[in-house]
Amino acid sequence: MKLLQPFVSTLLLVGSGVVSAASSWGFDDATVTVQAKGAGVGAGTKEKLSPNTPLSKSVSLGATDTLKLLLTAVDGKKAKRPHQAFLTLTDPTTGLEESFVLNVKESGKGKVDLTHKDLPVQFLTSTKPIVASIVIGSFGSSTPYNSKAFELDIARDANVPLAIPEKPLRYAVENEIHHVFRQDPQSPSKMITIVFAVGVLAAVPVLLGAWATLGANANHLGKAMGAAPLSHALFVGSILAMEGIFFMYYTSWNLFQTLPAAAVVGVVAFLSGSRALTEVQERRLAGLR
Amino acid sequence: MRGLFSVLLLALVSAVSAVSSTGGRLLVVLEEHSEREKYGVFFGDLEARGFHLTIESPKSESLSLFKHGERAYDHTILLPGKSKGLGPALTANTLLDFMKKEGNILIALSSDHAIPTSIHSTLLELDIHIPSDKGALVVDHFNHDSNKAAEKHDVLLLPFPQALKPNVKNYFAGEGLIAVPQAVGQTLGNESPLLAPILRAPNTAYSYNPKDEADIVEDPFAVGSQLNLVSAMQAHNSARLTVVGSAEMLQNAWFAEKATLAGKAVKTANRDFAARLTEWTFKETGVVKVGKLIHYQDEGVSKKMNTSLAIPEHNPTIYRIKSDVNFQIEISEYSQDRLAPFLPAPGDHVQLEFSMLSPFHRLNLSPISQTANSTIFGVSFKTPDQHGIFNFRVNYRRPFLTSIEEKRQVTVRHFAHDEWPRSWQISGAWVWIGGIWVTVAGFVAFVAVWLYSAPTEKSVKKTQ
Amino acid sequence: MAAPASDTLLQQFTGRKTRGVLRFVILGLIAGAAVSSRLFSVIRFESIIHEFDPWFNFRATKYLVQNGFYSFWDWFDDRTWHPLGRVTGGTLYPGLMVTSGVIYHALRALTLPVDIRNICVLLAPGFSGLTAFATYLLTSEMVASPSAGLLAAAFMGITPGYISRSVAGSYDNEAIAIFLLVFTFFLWIKAVKNGSMFWGALTALFYGYMVSAWGGYVFITNLLPLHAFVLICMGRYSPRLYVSYTSWYALGTLASMQIPFVGFLPIRSSEHMSSLGVFGLIQIVGFVEYVRVQLPNKQFQTLLRALVFVIFVVAFGGLVVLTVSGTIAPWSGRFYSLWDTAYAKIHIPIIASVSEHQPTAWPAFFFDLSMMIWLFPAGVYMCFRSLTDEQVFIVIYSVLASYFAGVMVRLMLTLTPIVCVASAMAFSQILDTYLDAKIPEQGAKENGSSDPAKVAAAVLPDGLRSTRNPLVGIYSYASRLTVIGASTVYLMLFVLHCTWVTSNAYSSPSVVLASRLPDGSQHIIDDYREAYYWLRQNTPDNAKVMSWWDYGYQIGGMADRPTLVDNNTWNNTHIATVGKAMSSREEVSYPIMRQHEVDYVLVVFGGLLGYSGDDINKFLWMVRIAEGIWPEEVKERNFFTQRGEYRVDEEATPTMKNSLMYKMSYYNYNSLFPAGQATDRVRGVRLPAEGPQLSTIEEAFTSENWIIRIYKVKEPDNFGRDHQSATAFDKGHKKKRASKRKGPRVLRVE
Repeated sequence: MKLLQPFVSTLLLVGSGVVSAASSWGFDDATVTVQAKGAGVGAGTKEKLSPNTPLSKSVSLGATDTLKLLLTAVDGKKAKRPHQAFLTLTDPTTGLEESFVLNVKESGKGKVDLTHKDLPVQFLTSTKPIVASIVIGSFGSSTPYNSKAFELDIARDANVPLAIPEKPLRYAVENEIHHVFRQDPQSPSKMITIVFAVGVLAAVPVLLGAWATLGANANHLGKAMGAAPLSHALFVGSILAMEGIFFMYYTSWNLFQTLPAAAVVGVVAFLSGSRALTEVQERRLAGLR
Repeated sequence: MRGLFSVLLLALVSAVSAVSSTGGRLLVVLEEHSEREKYGVFFGDLEARGFHLTIESPKSESLSLFKHGERAYDHTILLPGKSKGLGPALTANTLLDFMKKEGNILIALSSDHAIPTSIHSTLLELDIHIPSDKGALVVDHFNHDSNKAAEKHDVLLLPFPQALKPNVKNYFAGEGLIAVPQAVGQTLGNESPLLAPILRAPNTAYSYNPKDEADIVEDPFAVGSQLNLVSAMQAHNSARLTVVGSAEMLQNAWFAEKATLAGKAVKTANRDFAARLTEWTFKETGVVKVGKLIHYQDEGVSKKMNTSLAIPEHNPTIYRIKSDVNFQIEISEYSQDRLAPFLPAPGDHVQLEFSMLSPFHRLNLSPISQTANSTIFGVSFKTPDQHGIFNFRVNYRRPFLTSIEEKRQVTVRHFAHDEWPRSWQISGAWVWIGGIWVTVAGFVAFVAVWLYSAPTEKSVKKTQ
Repeated sequence: MAAPASDTLLQQFTGRKTRGVLRFVILGLIAGAAVSSRLFSVIRFESIIHEFDPWFNFRATKYLVQNGFYSFWDWFDDRTWHPLGRVTGGTLYPGLMVTSGVIYHALRALTLPVDIRNICVLLAPGFSGLTAFATYLLTSEMVASPSAGLLAAAFMGITPGYISRSVAGSYDNEAIAIFLLVFTFFLWIKAVKNGSMFWGALTALFYGYMVSAWGGYVFITNLLPLHAFVLICMGRYSPRLYVSYTSWYALGTLASMQIPFVGFLPIRSSEHMSSLGVFGLIQIVGFVEYVRVQLPNKQFQTLLRALVFVIFVVAFGGLVVLTVSGTIAPWSGRFYSLWDTAYAKIHIPIIASVSEHQPTAWPAFFFDLSMMIWLFPAGVYMCFRSLTDEQVFIVIYSVLASYFAGVMVRLMLTLTPIVCVASAMAFSQILDTYLDAKIPEQGAKENGSSDPAKVAAAVLPDGLRSTRNPLVGIYSYASRLTVIGASTVYLMLFVLHCTWVTSNAYSSPSVVLASRLPDGSQHIIDDYREAYYWLRQNTPDNAKVMSWWDYGYQIGGMADRPTLVDNNTWNNTHIATVGKAMSSREEVSYPIMRQHEVDYVLVVFGGLLGYSGDDINKFLWMVRIAEGIWPEEVKERNFFTQRGEYRVDEEATPTMKNSLMYKMSYYNYNSLFPAGQATDRVRGVRLPAEGPQLSTIEEAFTSENWIIRIYKVKEPDNFGRDHQSATAFDKGHKKKRASKRKGPRVLRVE
């Protein structure tokens, strides 16, 4: 973690300082007590702290518990009141830290109480145990003391919702977003389509066949052409042309190309059609149909 | 687009006369004329970098940040003085107005001097907090200069700051140690993304009030890395304000001084750090500029961006849904005295959002080519299947970099009536198309039969 | 109105040709009267587009004329409904615009370059002349007497019920739709009478035109099948009916499906199912009839009838199932509100909020139809007496349209044509009886089968006893003179009433308001255009304007600026968003406005002038519509005081006082009055001494009479503060240093 680098480097500086100093700060008779709310004095867990080695097991702090740290600050061997006596908590994942001031008497005896209410919200939501270290230092030439004392485990009641303020905005790169497209409509399998299409197309021969068996024919074509050749040719032609116009409209033309063409063909069909159909009617009246 | 062009042109013109990207007129507010000597090297360095310094006392009648409603200076340095007030020309409102017009301010504090109320309320307005007690200062029993402050521990010796976060560029890096004597510590509110610490106190440092807490610190103003010795604020319009906790560190006395840290003799590198600070504050570093921005429909040919300023941007205003679009943006970074190609810090990306109400696409832009003084970033994507009025939006805001906010509005329209696949291309429609042609054929056949069918024996009988 | 009456007089003495010419001249005069009575608004004000919707139609027409038909067809409008846009080409009825476009191009082809605005302004009056002609044709199909047709045409030409929607400048779909409605009905009657495929196809053609022009086409879609259905039930099925109905249905449905906005609705929505059902029924009935003719067996016929009934029930059941399962779209909300007037108020406030959708008040019938309201039942009664196929149509039409007109004010428009036809039939009956009776008296003595008797026989239905015995009649001059005199007076009163109503009630453009000065001269209040032109000239071309949807079309048309919502209320959520922004606190509204890129907010405020149609009076609808989407965040109850009053004065609720709309309306209003004297003239109350403060928006423009107020939305604060504290700071209130902190420190995290 790059974040921790300043933190680590200062720790190193501290370490080197310890060697060269004449007298140095430390503490004695340090205890850390966790007391549940309402429990009597003396109840709860109590651990002794040593200035040289941190506690092996972490201290757990429940939602209603109070952590009490008692110690006597010493300069060399002598109990003395330092200017700075802090219990510093550091979140190991973010490097975020907060210090709590020990209330130190003239005699060097100091204490601090800690509950959930005193902790910044970032510590309450921390997943890893929080590193608690004790910092003692003062003006002058004595070497200050800074060492990890114990690990603090924040035990939170999962049922009690925590009022976590909304994460403040920080400018940084954001996650990529890719639009998810709707699926295109699907066609049924081509085989099925082709089967049905062939079925539909088969209707034409069926129809023609049925008409043929009923006696449909085109035997009067010559007769009709003989009686009114121009109008018949134009009429049938215009009907075919109209279908052709529809085909063109379907494939390439726009409305403004289609409409004039359809109008022309329509007029032709109307004029020639009335003649042609008159001829058909004459044949019909003559019993030829 | 024209505005952008003129801004760029202005930047180029000003680059000739001064190193800063926004101009070289620098006002130094210093109460005692005699103190001027103390900052001699600092001022000399600034002048050497091309700034034109005007040193005024806050009591001076002629002092005004504005002239005819425009900024009279591009940058301001406020150095501490004896008096508690800064006078009518430097009220909190004027200072903020100066920043609203993109003026940059460097405020130096000192625990030896009273902090003027106008600075107090300016900082409070920006959510930068300083101790309210006069004389409060930062001490560290671990990292102090045991040469000059063996007893008081109030001269901190610190390495140059690291990058704020892994993917943020560091404009304050350097070699050596910085001496921070008698600093006024600052804390920053947690809400604003515009604030950033430049130099944080070591984690054992704390700020205390020597008058009330001479024996033991009881309620320190702030402790550890929450305490800043130098902090920065960059407004939305990229105007910058830097708070230097210790004015003394800019003085000649600390520029290259022998100091002792934990028994080892070192030399302070304050001169370097002061240069880094002023470079950043006065927009010589950390300034990014957008050149051209193009987007076009991808028709298989990739267009090369012409970065010449003579050719205006000419982008389409309308796209169709589900069409391939190519986007390119030219970004340069101003570094010291010229524009250079910009590259984001490792792990950081310039991002393009294609958004309507909320982003539909947010894509990392990748550098595709470089010119002499700019990088061209680009990305291609498909417009979403939602019509509407979209924005190509590059909103690149990072700590210590001026913000880029470029927006190009385009319309994404629906398929026109003739842009759908034709019916014969859809296999499911073949049945229906077949039906239509069967009907046509049947009708034509019917017409033929109706017109030309001769009666057969049977049919004659039937109809009769 | 004496013209048609004199026509019947003259007709005795003139030849057929002369009568034709005369009829033509009279129709021309009626059309002239119809057009000129609609020009009041142009004379009083100017040639300007009226109201709200016409502004959109006008804008769309301009787009069509500039960009051509196909780009109009594919028009994606990016200047409304920001940022959603609107697929305008596919969501409008293009008939009106295309009609104007065709006229425009035709006139240009004739080298008559007319401004498109003038075509739009004068389109409605022009078509009213055609409507009069169509009414004449329709009425003439109903009764033989040509005087009825001419009377109906005259009535239709000047009746206020129609004029209300067709004065010059009222460029709305109804302007051409009423002509198409009447003409389609005429063609349908013609088709049913003749059993002709040709007339059926023509009906379908004009039906298609109607579909392209107005959403009210559904009325035809349901009325024609109903007519056919009633005829079938009356046992009047005939091949004529079969031919006309099937040719209309098949071609008409295909035609209607060509309009993108309608698309597949004719086969998918409940509103169209009746025509499809009757189409199916008529096939079965036709088949059964065919079989019945072939097989004379009585029992078999009963079986067939049962079969028809069973198929009908099964089909109906299938329809219900399909509707429930969702394959067929269920009835739309607007349709429900036709059956239950309270439905919209509860479920779709956006429909109920439109004044046109309110139930009609009784006086409105007299106001719009005058004397026809009592002639109308007489005409319908006359139809009952003979009850031919076409007269059944009149009966059905009157019953349905009367009901609908009672439910919704705007549907008065569909009632008007049938009222004109029916009352003209009744009135012409009176006139014919009392004017023509002079001749039979003489003619009967000379020759029993004289010409006039034939005329009388033709005029009067066969069942009437008087035709059997032409000598029965009114012979006394006194009674004739009385009745005719009374009729003439009525007609003249009708003309007076129509003219008065047109000039006073229906000729205001509503964009421009008129008031009277103390000396009686007219004073024009032109705040709307003042504000819209301010927007047009002082804001960037794509500055987004947020306002309540009523003004969306006008802003788009006059100010030419993108709007968030407009009168095409297709997206209820978007409207509710605007409602929420208007009815919430500034801190809530500001992010909404920023997200929608709003640059300006426009409100209408009538407090200074006493203009009651302002936004504070519409405000509850905004609240209700917003509450429909965000019931947790916007609550109508909070806008009412403890005692349930809607107040804007000192006692207004905090929610009301803090709402953006209230603040925008009354911002700085105090400065117009001496301290503590500010009064709102619409609501007649004294306002609080302390005016509202604004921080996220700033006043940009207020029109002369304060009717329109425009505010500019501020950029986010340069230093990341919220606007309230930024404003406070600018006013000199410095932040207090935090006193002794409580609780844990807030640590800054990078």
